[in-house]
Amino acid sequence: MKRLEKTLLAMATGAALLGPALASAQEESQGWFSGLDYTLGGFIRPELVFKTGDENPNNQDGNPYNGRSVQRVPGTPVPGVNALSFEIPNPLLADTIARPIASSDNWTSYHILRGELELGLHFNADLGLVARVRGIYDPGHYDEFDARSVADDRGGISGGDPALYQGKPNYFAYHAEGSGKPNPLEWSGRNYMVYFPALFFDFNHGPLNVRLGNQQIAWGQALFFRVFDVPNGLDLRRHSILDYAQEEYSDKRVPSLALRVGYQITDELLADAYFQKFQPTVFGNPNTAYNVIPAQFTVHDLYGNYDNKFSYGLRLKGNYGQWGFQAMAVRRYNPDGVFRWTASGVDKALPSSNPLGLVENTLHPTGPIMAQTAFEASPGGVYSADEWFHYAAMVRLDGVAGLNAGIDEFQPATGQLLASHADTFNAAHNELDTFFIAAGGSLRGHIAREYFQENVFGLGASYVTEGEPGSILDQLIINLETSYTPNRVFTNPSLSRNYLREGNSISALVMEKYYRFTQAFPATYFVFQAMHRTKDDLFGRSLKGYGGTDTSVPTGLSGGSNYLVFAFQQPFPQDIYRAAFAALYDPKGGLLLQPGIKWKPSGPWTIEAFYTYIDTVYGNPNNNALSTAKFANEGTIRVGYQF
Amino acid sequence: MRLLRYDRQYSRRHFLQAVRSGAVAGGVLMPLWDAIAQNGEAAKAYPEELQSLEAYTRGRLKAGDEIDAGNVELVKDLLEPIKYQQIARLGRRLKVVPTTQDIMRLSPWEYLEATVRNRGLARFDAQGNVVVEGGKPWIGGNPFPAPQTPVELFAGLTLSWGRHDASFYAIREYDLAASGEIEYEYESGWAEFSPVARVTLTPKPYWPGREDKLRYQSVFFVSPDSIKGTSFLNIWPYDQHQFPELYGYVAAFKRIRQFPTNQRFEPLIPGSTLYLSDAWAAGDPLYTWGNYRVVSRGPLLASVSGAWNAGHPNWQHNTHGGPKGKTFWDTQVEFVPEAIVVEAEPLKFPRAPVSRKRVWFDARTQLPIAMVSYDRRGEPYRSFDGAYALYESGARRVMDGQHPYWSWGHVHAFDIQTGRMTRLEQVRRISGGHDFKVNDPGIFDCYLTNAALMRLAAS
Repeated sequence: MKRLEKTLLAMATGAALLGPALASAQEESQGWFSGLDYTLGGFIRPELVFKTGDENPNNQDGNPYNGRSVQRVPGTPVPGVNALSFEIPNPLLADTIARPIASSDNWTSYHILRGELELGLHFNADLGLVARVRGIYDPGHYDEFDARSVADDRGGISGGDPALYQGKPNYFAYHAEGSGKPNPLEWSGRNYMVYFPALFFDFNHGPLNVRLGNQQIAWGQALFFRVFDVPNGLDLRRHSILDYAQEEYSDKRVPSLALRVGYQITDELLADAYFQKFQPTVFGNPNTAYNVIPAQFTVHDLYGNYDNKFSYGLRLKGNYGQWGFQAMAVRRYNPDGVFRWTASGVDKALPSSNPLGLVENTLHPTGPIMAQTAFEASPGGVYSADEWFHYAAMVRLDGVAGLNAGIDEFQPATGQLLASHADTFNAAHNELDTFFIAAGGSLRGHIAREYFQENVFGLGASYVTEGEPGSILDQLIINLETSYTPNRVFTNPSLSRNYLREGNSISALVMEKYYRFTQAFPATYFVFQAMHRTKDDLFGRSLKGYGGTDTSVPTGLSGGSNYLVFAFQQPFPQDIYRAAFAALYDPKGGLLLQPGIKWKPSGPWTIEAFYTYIDTVYGNPNNNALSTAKFANEGTIRVGYQF
Repeated sequence: MRLLRYDRQYSRRHFLQAVRSGAVAGGVLMPLWDAIAQNGEAAKAYPEELQSLEAYTRGRLKAGDEIDAGNVELVKDLLEPIKYQQIARLGRRLKVVPTTQDIMRLSPWEYLEATVRNRGLARFDAQGNVVVEGGKPWIGGNPFPAPQTPVELFAGLTLSWGRHDASFYAIREYDLAASGEIEYEYESGWAEFSPVARVTLTPKPYWPGREDKLRYQSVFFVSPDSIKGTSFLNIWPYDQHQFPELYGYVAAFKRIRQFPTNQRFEPLIPGSTLYLSDAWAAGDPLYTWGNYRVVSRGPLLASVSGAWNAGHPNWQHNTHGGPKGKTFWDTQVEFVPEAIVVEAEPLKFPRAPVSRKRVWFDARTQLPIAMVSYDRRGEPYRSFDGAYALYESGARRVMDGQHPYWSWGHVHAFDIQTGRMTRLEQVRRISGGHDFKVNDPGIFDCYLTNAALMRLAAS
């Protein structure tokens, strides 16, 4: 509890010191902005998460194989008869291993101090500048993995960006290979990030609105589900997608340098177009609280090859009384990107301290050959075939196909190491154990992240019903949105460089209703939503990687994926308290529940508390999307002071 | 000793008789608007005792005096019930100023001109909408300056709220707890724009192609940070049976969304006691309410002048009263010779928290000068009292074309059941460079389209 007290004290002190210094203002002709009208406002908010679930299994210190004894049974790689090498287990070389990484047990997974400041400058009636800066500080104090703790094992972790893979977790830095500054208006490091969600000139004249600069763009009427909301990727650092569900990504959209033009063609019809620098979705860094890429991988984000690319799109939105329509056409780089095996570039030989490694090194100097494969003989990787298959299924990959792609696509290097295509699960299992033993413990896998251009077309319609005043069917807002992306590129569950290309359709039906149960309380807001996706899941992963287990490869999901949402908000009189609840259900067995309350005791202060519960309530967890975040059962408290 | 030709009981009897008979038109001695049409003053329509507070109280109170808890009993029957309670129990004070005689100082000049010019041309069509000969929409001014029914009073008010063709009000809002502390402060903008019944903006009286609309109206918030960008746009059909379309930008959702049109009794922001339905005491389409009836009439003390604080560069007002001296605006009231009190019930809001509302109209101008609503048990619930002004004070004036600007200056919205108060004041400017505007055609593109909501959302 001392750690908790220290953290809260540090946050409260920071807020108290900063608060008075940042008084709100609406001034004219004074100080720096002499002659200009300007506005200034913002808030400071400590955010604290209490963990009630497990450690994140995607991190080194949350790996369920840590300290757990697992038997490894290799095959017998024989030069010239590769096809037979791994079908038959070789018990003589079998061993038992426990993953030698210490597990953690944190009471909190996230505690930060957030500050936001917005400056509005008004040059004249038509032209202004909006600058919003967001700063986040995480003091750390987590029980967490430090890569230096395994430095004595085969020289430690060698590949990848040293800032991300060779020390303590880096909470906020955003690094991409070949791009010195992936987000030009962001400054971030291990404990902090400062960036501009908005920094743009705003020009308005009559029905014309032009915005030029760094900005976020939100399209569509569907909440929670992103159908039309395609212009921006998401920033999944910080609290991933686990903030208050009903805030709806407002904190997450990655801002981009863009030109946005809005034109009110008629009273009913609005045109909205953008042209922007491509900015990808930003994933949490390795070993940070909400990282979703297993830390046994080293990721080479190739955004440097794409940071001069652009996305653009047009949306038309019409409102005609009870009816509303919208249509969009977008040409963009899919911000989520796709992953494939890539050569590790790590020249580190298999150790000769074991018979298998000794044989390999006798045949060839293995260091340069390993550099040409997707693997690195270092600690903190996968230690056993059991771990391999467990994780493959967990992240919706195919453990056998993945092994084969890692071998077949990196010939002749892999052949020189006596690796061969595995035809069966058992052969793959034996072959994997063979190389984990040969590697002296574990292998780390190297994957590259690339981005592909695509067209997204969308249509939407909304209708507001009219019924008996006060009845449940009166003023029900029905909204249907659908999008289609021809030849969308997906990560292959084998991590092959031959990506999957499929036409993908995403549709959402949303029904919203405000209903007063009593005269004493304001209306309750209800929303019911259903989503159907033909080829991918809620997070954009191909459904072909679904259905795997520790002992079987994925079977894929036929018929697409479906999700249901039910949520409500109940304001209390004067809206000083607002209770909320959101449920997301995956009919394949996943469930997310999030009750919460927002309390606004006075103008400057806002206190929010919500609890997130995620679990697989039936079936194979790897058949539902939500199991990916199962570890994140937690309560969150946020105390905001605005000025 | 001076003999009064008409004693106190004469006007009282006249008003009681008028209520019993269902007559609505103002005036005791002669039809009020006949008197106004003669020389722009109402005085000839009323006996001497209704010419001033001094005459009415037989000298016990007069212009320049202050009404407080010590003397409020003298004027109890000149106050709506919640205002009386505020003075008697909560320390509210009212400064009495002379009664304004010149009718042209009590509303916008062009509106009153059109009222006189178009007198007698208005009628209800088969649907109950106000039209002129040929069934076209109303052409400007008050359609029923000498109303014959209570619906005509509300019809005139609903047709034009602020009595300008286009208005943009820069507003500061203060929400107070019963303890008298200010808990929430907001800055907001409120825009009104008429595509019909235009008396100033060209083309007039109609904006071609939009004759089926009565009003475009929006409200948006510019501070504090948590609420910044939140906005609501109402597009009113001319047909007063239909609800306005309602769009909103909710800061948390970062996009414009359509809302149910009947959400008119919901708090727009935390702490506020105001509903969309409260606007100008006639915030909903005419026939979503019903059972209009005159329940009483007589003189009233009301703030129909002096609500502009010319002494403050941003027109901000001073306060007094309540536990912390912050609950009430400093308010000037004058003796209004005749107020017509009309009651109505919400017909199309079966789950509204109010069962009826009572609105006091100044018989001379048909302006709403007070409103009290009642909860579902019939208990007094909330009051809404506004104060008006011609924006002219000595040498200082704010111009609206050729004439000084006329508008509201401040408003109290009070929940008598919880003691919570919302105070609003019209100021010159709010954050974001939004200045008050009147009859500026640019108000439409700036504040009253979906693109405008998107723009106001800023970041």
